[in-house]
Amino acid sequence: MLKQELIEKNPIRHLKGESDAKESSRMGLVMARAGVGKTALLVQIALDSLLNDKQVVHVSVGQSLDKTKLWYDDMFKDIAEFCKLENAGEIHDSIMHNRMIITFNESKFSRAKLEERLHDLMQQNVIKPSCMVVDGFDFAKTDRAVLEGMRDMASAMNLQIWFSAVCDEEADCQCATGIPSPCKGLEDLFNTIVLLQPVSQSDCIDLKILKGSAAVSKCGKLLKLDTKSFMIRENCK
Amino acid sequence: MKDLSKVRNIGISAHIDSGKTTLTERILFYTQRIHAIHEVRGKDGVGAKMDSMELERERGITICSAATYCDWKDHSINIIDTPGHVDFTIEVERALRVLDGAVLILCSVGGVQSQSITVNRQMTRYRVPRVAFINKCDRTGANPDKVIKQLREKLGLNAVPIQVPMGLEGDMQGLIDLVKMKAVYFDGENGDKIRVEEIPAQYKDECDAKREELLDAVSMFSDELMEAVLEGTPTEEMIMAAIRKGTLSLEFSPVMMGSAYKNKGVQLLLDAVNDYLPCPTDVDNFALDLDHDEAEVKVSNLPTDPLLALAFKLEDGRYGQLTYVRTYQGTLKKGDSIVNVRTGKKAKVGRLVRMHSDEMEEIEESGSGDIVALFGIDCASGDTFTRGDYNFSMSSMHVPEPVISLSITPIDNKAQDNMSKALNRFTKEDPTFKTYVDAETMETIISGMGELHLDVYVERMKREYKAEVTVGAPQVAYRETITQRADFNYTHKKQTGGSGQFGRVAGYIEPLEEGEYEFVDQIVGGSVPREYIPSCDKGFQKCLEKGSLVGAHVTGVRCAINDGASHAVDSSDIAFQLAAMGGFKEAYAKAKPVIMEPIMKVAVEGPTEFQGSIMGSLNQRRGMIIGTNEEDAYTVIEAEVPLSEMFGYSTDLRSLTQGKAEFTMEFATYRPVPKSVAEELIAKAQKKDKK
Repeated sequence: MLKQELIEKNPIRHLKGESDAKESSRMGLVMARAGVGKTALLVQIALDSLLNDKQVVHVSVGQSLDKTKLWYDDMFKDIAEFCKLENAGEIHDSIMHNRMIITFNESKFSRAKLEERLHDLMQQNVIKPSCMVVDGFDFAKTDRAVLEGMRDMASAMNLQIWFSAVCDEEADCQCATGIPSPCKGLEDLFNTIVLLQPVSQSDCIDLKILKGSAAVSKCGKLLKLDTKSFMIRENCK
Repeated sequence: MKDLSKVRNIGISAHIDSGKTTLTERILFYTQRIHAIHEVRGKDGVGAKMDSMELERERGITICSAATYCDWKDHSINIIDTPGHVDFTIEVERALRVLDGAVLILCSVGGVQSQSITVNRQMTRYRVPRVAFINKCDRTGANPDKVIKQLREKLGLNAVPIQVPMGLEGDMQGLIDLVKMKAVYFDGENGDKIRVEEIPAQYKDECDAKREELLDAVSMFSDELMEAVLEGTPTEEMIMAAIRKGTLSLEFSPVMMGSAYKNKGVQLLLDAVNDYLPCPTDVDNFALDLDHDEAEVKVSNLPTDPLLALAFKLEDGRYGQLTYVRTYQGTLKKGDSIVNVRTGKKAKVGRLVRMHSDEMEEIEESGSGDIVALFGIDCASGDTFTRGDYNFSMSSMHVPEPVISLSITPIDNKAQDNMSKALNRFTKEDPTFKTYVDAETMETIISGMGELHLDVYVERMKREYKAEVTVGAPQVAYRETITQRADFNYTHKKQTGGSGQFGRVAGYIEPLEEGEYEFVDQIVGGSVPREYIPSCDKGFQKCLEKGSLVGAHVTGVRCAINDGASHAVDSSDIAFQLAAMGGFKEAYAKAKPVIMEPIMKVAVEGPTEFQGSIMGSLNQRRGMIIGTNEEDAYTVIEAEVPLSEMFGYSTDLRSLTQGKAEFTMEFATYRPVPKSVAEELIAKAQKKDKK
């Protein structure tokens, strides 16, 4: 498969609603229980932007640089294998130039600091991201104002921001009624919210769309993801 | 025979300038190995004992890991002082191989710096249990709590303090031992009089809280302690046993503090080495069974078993070659005859000595687990010795390929002789240092792991061997490889006059994922006679030495032959070699060859305000910035940068950041060079050829 095909085939981009040109700045949220694959989906979203020759900033709270980099290398390898991508090595080297990882310690992360850092990077002409993924952001300990600030930042910098959030065990039953905690009451800040759920006895993961724009809803309320590459699968066991 | 549980082989490893050599000096003083203290950069000109090489004394850094021996409270401790600069990592790694435990020294102001991270990673790779010592608590800005936090966050160690300092910076009075719950003072001019007292009232609360934290952390390793803590009756012995257990399992790192320079806390550190670091039998070491495909075999550590010893360090002393060995099992006696497993050569142990840096003590025998030095044994470092009845080798160490080289020319005839002597010695001592004579320019080339690495050897040549040389510009070790499969069918024919030559080979070359070269013989029906197949292999290998793009070494190629023809009279070994070479050249051009360059993993650490300019400087050097990590006022920037762009970076970085940033660099991988650079390189190579 060629790079172009991979880009077109990857339905993750429907999720991002990029066909909606008006809404280039938007916020997305990936929710799941611990260990289901939030980071993997975020990396997948980032990789999609990278494959489109866009620049990405990956903000990792509480994880080391090396680990985050490994995520990208592994995910890319899996996707390349899954889609039998041609000259994968070359593409890998070329797109990783457009990625920048910023890691924070749990206690050191603040919106103001991140914004300052991003401004710095743009001013120095190091990177001009169009997509940012934020992994490990602690929703339980933040208030609405911080997220509102992020939203303002997103529109000021013309950025798409995707967050991940850990929800607790009861999330499965809660989602029937709305957005599971700890993000309850924040749903109006996000354009898209998805929930990942493992399916027992299957090699797929369910991706439930809890909130999304019209473009997003086109692909239905439930998607199946391959557990390894996190690509959307058309036929699932 | 010595009780093995009372032997400690430890390393002292740390960031440059965190006071490692000063600390070793104090240890030697307190264990009565030396009788006066000399500072590293002292005014008395004597220099610290461990820095026995002249160059080290001058630069204030330790280059070679001199091994030294001392006694502390009925335990024998072998200390390997390890170098602090990343360019000497082979030294560090080689030392780690023979260590059972280590003391990680950190500066209480600088904290965990990039070099500590590299060293820590190496220690984890060799599974070396460690205790941490936060040094320089007397300096302004000392903050042990911050350093402990960094140990946890940056190095991922489960670091918990077992001491509390009484006062910091200028008014540091002593330490409080959280295990014994006593205050310890260090009196006397050299801090050698220890006074133990009750904890002063103002520290009581802090100590109680910290002790609770410590008990929480270590009770994970001992059920007995856990119960005792719940009942409120933990004993000193229980806590110490639990700390030891946790440390040996690498899941816990006790943290101590003090100031070597001000003579505070060193004795307690020695106690901790005895109490918490492993003895030779606590650690599993493995040998490779050469008769069974290098299968791993656990060594027994028993002095009665067959001998197994590893030469880990060579030194050229006044009396000939000095070989440092660690015995893993068996006993090494004076007068024994031993066999070098690599060469099969027999040697006789003439003198057996225990080293105290540059002084020595004759001994009769050394038991397993000990570190001693031998005289007059011809070997290279990394060789294994047995008594000839055993075909085992201590695991071959991971030796990185050199990435940088430079030409050296001796200034006169005398220097020429001395230079070859020196090179002979250095290549034996250091497996990452290589030397050869370029067949075309007839220049002597030395290659190694970095600019400083080669610099030091050039300096040493001058000082120790009086060989003055002029040094050429550093060259990066480029490589060539192919990116696609290509077929060849080549006939080598020379049948006019004299004896003829004839050989035809056909086959293909293709990229090899792993490894440097592979030869595949797919000939069926004897179109190439059996006896000439090795000739084809030889022919291919000759081509690999020099690629046609820039004359660099070709790697990652599989060469296969599947057809050919021969002549009853005219075919010969040389004819098939030439045919294979012709075939390779034919296919090589079609196989889209590329030039590869070494890429270094660079970590720059500096104040946050310089982050932008540091990134700019890396970008300029064709660097790919991987990311940044934020720490209070410091930022670590990681990037992958081609080695060819890194020359002189330390100077640039210094001027860019007012000397406040520093960097480490490690070889990461080989990657194809961008087109524009490749063209430049090819043009340069062609120009050189024309000359």
